[in-house]
Amino acid sequence: MSVYKHEYRAYSGRVTPLWTRVVVLARYGFAEVWSSKITVGLFTLSMLPVIVFLIGIYLANNPVARLIIMRGNPQVLTIDAAYFLKVLETQSWLALVLSAWIAPRLVTFDLADNALPILLSHPISRVGYVLGKFIALFASLSLVTWIPCLLLFAYQGYSSSQPWAVANIPLAGGIMAGAVIWITLLSILGLALSSWVKWRVVATGLIFAAIFVPAGVGGIVSAILRTKWGFLLNLPVIMSELWQRLLGAPEVRWPDQYIPNAAIAGVLILICVVSVAMLNARIRAREVVRG
Amino acid sequence: MLERANTFKKHLMEQPWGLWWLQARRLIRIEVRRNLFSWKASWIYFLAFIPTLIILIHLLFESHPAFALSDDTNVLAGIVQFYYIRLGVFFGCLGIFSRLIRGEMIERSLHLYLLSPVRREILLLAKFAAGSISALVLFGSAIIADFALMYAAFGAAGQDCVFNGPGLGQLEAYLAIIILACLGYGAVFLLLSMMFRNPTPAAMLVLGWEAINPVLPSLLQKISVASYLRHLMPVTIPGDGIFALLTVQTDPVSGWAATLGLLLLIAVVLAYSCLQIRRLEIRYTTD
Repeated sequence: MSVYKHEYRAYSGRVTPLWTRVVVLARYGFAEVWSSKITVGLFTLSMLPVIVFLIGIYLANNPVARLIIMRGNPQVLTIDAAYFLKVLETQSWLALVLSAWIAPRLVTFDLADNALPILLSHPISRVGYVLGKFIALFASLSLVTWIPCLLLFAYQGYSSSQPWAVANIPLAGGIMAGAVIWITLLSILGLALSSWVKWRVVATGLIFAAIFVPAGVGGIVSAILRTKWGFLLNLPVIMSELWQRLLGAPEVRWPDQYIPNAAIAGVLILICVVSVAMLNARIRAREVVRG
Repeated sequence: MLERANTFKKHLMEQPWGLWWLQARRLIRIEVRRNLFSWKASWIYFLAFIPTLIILIHLLFESHPAFALSDDTNVLAGIVQFYYIRLGVFFGCLGIFSRLIRGEMIERSLHLYLLSPVRREILLLAKFAAGSISALVLFGSAIIADFALMYAAFGAAGQDCVFNGPGLGQLEAYLAIIILACLGYGAVFLLLSMMFRNPTPAAMLVLGWEAINPVLPSLLQKISVASYLRHLMPVTIPGDGIFALLTVQTDPVSGWAATLGLLLLIAVVLAYSCLQIRRLEIRYTTD
C-alpha cells in the first residue's frame, strides 16, 4: 500500500473505563506531591498537634494520671465537643499550610511548561483533569484533617471507661462534615488560584492572601460600617462558626454577631462557584505565546 | 591608627561613587516603573486602597455625628495596626520584594544584570530602594487618603481635630509606621527571596511569628518588625480573645529607640543580603 493511502482512523481497540483515567492523573499527582521533602516535613509537623491531643485524651482517661497531674479535678481536662473543636481547628489550619504548598505543585508546573495541550490531547476531559488533581489534593489534606481527628475520636471511645463513642456519634459526624467541607473548599480554591498564576512562588502566597486579606477587609467593613455582615468575608471566622455548630460546641460570639447558617453556606458555595469558573477559564488546551 | 584611618578615607574617596549613583538611579527607575505601572502590579493597588474605598462608602452613605469622632479615630488606628501592618503591607512587600531577585530568576533574566559591569551590592541596594519607593508611594498615599476621608466626614469637628487637636501628629505617626514597616518587611523578604527558591513558606513563618509575637517573652519580641511598630502607634488598640489574656506587657519604649532599633535591624538584614548576593549563583535548571 502506498504511503499516501494511510489515512487517520480512530482507535477501535478496547478503551479503559473513564474513571481509571482520572485515577491515573490522581496517582501521578499524589506521587508528584509526596516526592517533595518539604511536603513530608509539613506533614510531620501537622501530626505533632495530634500527638499532643492524643496525650491529652490519655491523661483525661487514665485514673492515675488524673490523680497525679489533675489532682482528681475532672474540670481541668474534659474530652468533649470543645476539645474536638480545638483538634479540628488546629488540623484544619495546618491543612491550609499544606494545601498552599501542594496545590501549586499540582497545577502550575503543567501551565508554566505548556503541558496542558499535551495532557488534554489524551482521552481525558478538562473535568477529568481537574478531578484527578482534586483527588490528589483532597486525599493529601485528608491525611491531616478528618483521618487523625476520627482516629482520636476512636481512641477516646476506646479508652473511656463509659460507653462514650456511641453517645457521641453526632460529634464524629460533625468532625467528618466540618473537615470535608473545609478541605473541599481548600482544594478547589487552591487549584483555581494556582491555575491563574504561572509561578509557584506567587501561587503559594496567593492562597494565604486569599484567605487572610479578605478577612482583614471584612474586619474593616464590620468596624467602619458597623455591621456584622463584614464577617462573611472573614473565612477564618465563618469556618470557626460552622465547625462550632457542626460539633455542637458552646457559642463564643456575642448574640448580635450571629451569622445565619444560610449566609455561611451561601459564601462557601459562592467561593466554590467562582473557583470553578476560574478553573474553567484557565484549564484549556491552548498555549499562550507573548512576544 | 590615624594613618590607617586616612588610608581608608582615601580608599573610599577613590571609589567611583558617581558611576555607582548613576547605575543605581537607572536601576531604580526601571524597577519603579515595573512595580507601579504594570498591570501585574494592580493587586498591590487593591491591597493598599481597599480600606480607602470602604471609608469612602462610609463617608458617602452614613451620618457622622461629632460624638462618633473618637470611635472613628480608634477604627483608623485598628485599620493601621491590624490591616496595614499585619496584612496589607506584609503581603504587598512580600509580592514586591520577592519579585526583585527571585522573580528575575524565574523569568531567567537575572543573569543579564549579573553579567553587566555593575557591582552586585549596587544592584541589590538599588532594587531594595526601588521596592521601597513603590511600597511607600502606594501605602503612604493610601494612609493619607484614609485619614483625609475619615476626618472629612465630620466637617468642622474633624477639621478642628486634625489642625488643632492630635490629628496631624497621628498622621505623622501612621506615616512613620508605614515607612518603617515597608523598609523592615522589604529587607526581610528580599533576603528570604535570595535564600529560598520559594520564599513564601518562610514568609508565612514570619507572619506567624509576628502574630504570636505579643505573647512571647520581651526578649524574643525584639526580633520582630511589628513589635517595634507597636511602640510607635499613637492610639493602641488591644487585641481581643485569648491573645489579650496572653499578651506580655513590655516596658514602654520611646519612639526614637523603637525607630533606631528597627533601622538597625534593617541595616543588619541588608548587610547580610549584600553578603548573600556576592555568593549568589544561578541555576536556572533548578529554578
